[in-house]
Amino acid sequence: MARATADAETETARPTPSPDDAALYVDGLAKQFGDVTAVDGVSFAVESGAVVGLLGPNGAGKTTTIKSILGLVSPDAGEVRINGVDARARPRAAYEQVDAMLEGARNDYWRLTVRENLRYFAAVRGQNPDRLTARHEELLERFDLAEKADTQVRSLSRGMKQKVSLASALAGDVSVAFLDEPTLGLDVESSLQLRREIVNLAEDRGLTLVISSHDMEVIEDVCDRVVIMSDGRVVADDTVENLLAGFEVRGYRVTARDVPDETVAAVRDAVDVTEVTALDGQTRIEVAGDSAAFYRLTNVLEAHGVDLDAVETIQPDLAEAFVEMTGAE
Amino acid sequence: MSRSGGYYHLLKAVIYRDLLIWVRYPVDAALGLVMGVFFFGVMFYGGSLLAGEAIGESIEGLVVGYFLWTLSLGAYSGITNEIRSEASWGTLERHFITPFGFGPVMLAKAVAIVLRTFLTSAIVLAVMLLMTGTSLDLNVLTVVPVAILAIASALGLGFAMGGLSVLYKQIGNVLNLLQFSFIGLISAPAFDLPWLKALPLAQGSALLQRAMTEGVRLWEFEPAALAILVATAVGYLAAGYVAFGLATRRARRLGVLGDY
Repeated sequence: MARATADAETETARPTPSPDDAALYVDGLAKQFGDVTAVDGVSFAVESGAVVGLLGPNGAGKTTTIKSILGLVSPDAGEVRINGVDARARPRAAYEQVDAMLEGARNDYWRLTVRENLRYFAAVRGQNPDRLTARHEELLERFDLAEKADTQVRSLSRGMKQKVSLASALAGDVSVAFLDEPTLGLDVESSLQLRREIVNLAEDRGLTLVISSHDMEVIEDVCDRVVIMSDGRVVADDTVENLLAGFEVRGYRVTARDVPDETVAAVRDAVDVTEVTALDGQTRIEVAGDSAAFYRLTNVLEAHGVDLDAVETIQPDLAEAFVEMTGAE
Repeated sequence: MSRSGGYYHLLKAVIYRDLLIWVRYPVDAALGLVMGVFFFGVMFYGGSLLAGEAIGESIEGLVVGYFLWTLSLGAYSGITNEIRSEASWGTLERHFITPFGFGPVMLAKAVAIVLRTFLTSAIVLAVMLLMTGTSLDLNVLTVVPVAILAIASALGLGFAMGGLSVLYKQIGNVLNLLQFSFIGLISAPAFDLPWLKALPLAQGSALLQRAMTEGVRLWEFEPAALAILVATAVGYLAAGYVAFGLATRRARRLGVLGDY
């Protein structure tokens, strides 16, 4: 199972890719606040151009991990390298290509216009804003902010403010960006649009993104890989597909017409039935188990002369995998 | 992408942002000017009513002292307010993740604040001169460097207190109380009691009085007097900057850099 594998890997192996090849390399990161262990030996690496999700319940240590990587919190131990540069030894060089959207919308100046924010944060990132005009126009277009470019941020909706935050984090033409809860508080439509643009940005510009979110859909839609944290530790680090594959098929759902009660009873004797639903002459039977259970089920139904209308596998989504791995509710 | 800009672009952007934010809080900006003039008016007209001609004899000193007080107050509260506002806006941390380093970016902000303070204090000074009908020697080559060196110590105190506000958050009362001590420092008799020259603002105030009321030029001051001015300016600014650095380092250790 993914959890056990990940635990074994994080405890024994150094993350790959190697410190010099990775866009972000974190090894043995630890931070204690008094008696509370916020981050406990976190290790992972992100290759250039990858989009990695940092997932975990409240108090898992996601934000402290991100802030420790960025030097905003001094870690007690561990190594952080950004584009091969040791961030603790040479922070200025390490953060040259990095920016972050740290806390929802309030991440820029609300009394400045959208464009003024982009120009300001580009300059703070060591860029000449005049040379990035085209880049800023592209960001404005991409985030649907072009019409509001000369409007003060305070006059914008929450969704737009969130987009300005994201755009300003990318205004300095960085190669690595950290996005902490980028869709927090957004309505469904705005969240979908922002997700789509994050994916496009990563693909078009080869950005390396580390996204922390409570929203499973964001992580599942946007990320190539997921690092799941619980109690300050990494409990899983893999692609979404592999994480879900670790749970494999949980069961099967078959739908058939006019299934008599005695057939249902026979099915119950043969396999572990989790749910039976009858509606409009159709009966839906859900069973737990692997393919052997599925064959026993179909054998019983065939023996009773029942024709199947539909067969589905029941697979966990990321939320279920997450709950199982972290014990979160 | 490699860096296409440098300190020049940083400074330009920081100054421009500072001025934009200032004008986009128009009530605050206007009230700052109005209150600056109002308090001087209360002192001047109130003093004239109570002390009659006596106030007229010391009016030049009063104007220069008040001018330096507005400058030092602007620099001190400018930097502490900036740090507190940035922390509450969630933008302070973004200035940490920069290829320039946190310190240089904050120093750039200090330069912007000093420039803006000169602008506002110059307006207050002009109104004071009109109100009192006095004239002062305003040799720019003397007044500007002496005033900058004088308020550098106030800026140092601002950095130190800004650092403490990052660490301990709600220390507004202490910040407000400290600014009243500037009155005492500016009016300290630095020429009579030499040890007072080591205090912030005192030596700068004494030299600024001589420059603006007696017409003494920068190059006419005694080298020792200028050396004390430079030493106190650099010393307090450096000490404040180091204190700010230590406070933010501790804030990072405690994980409270961006909290407010």
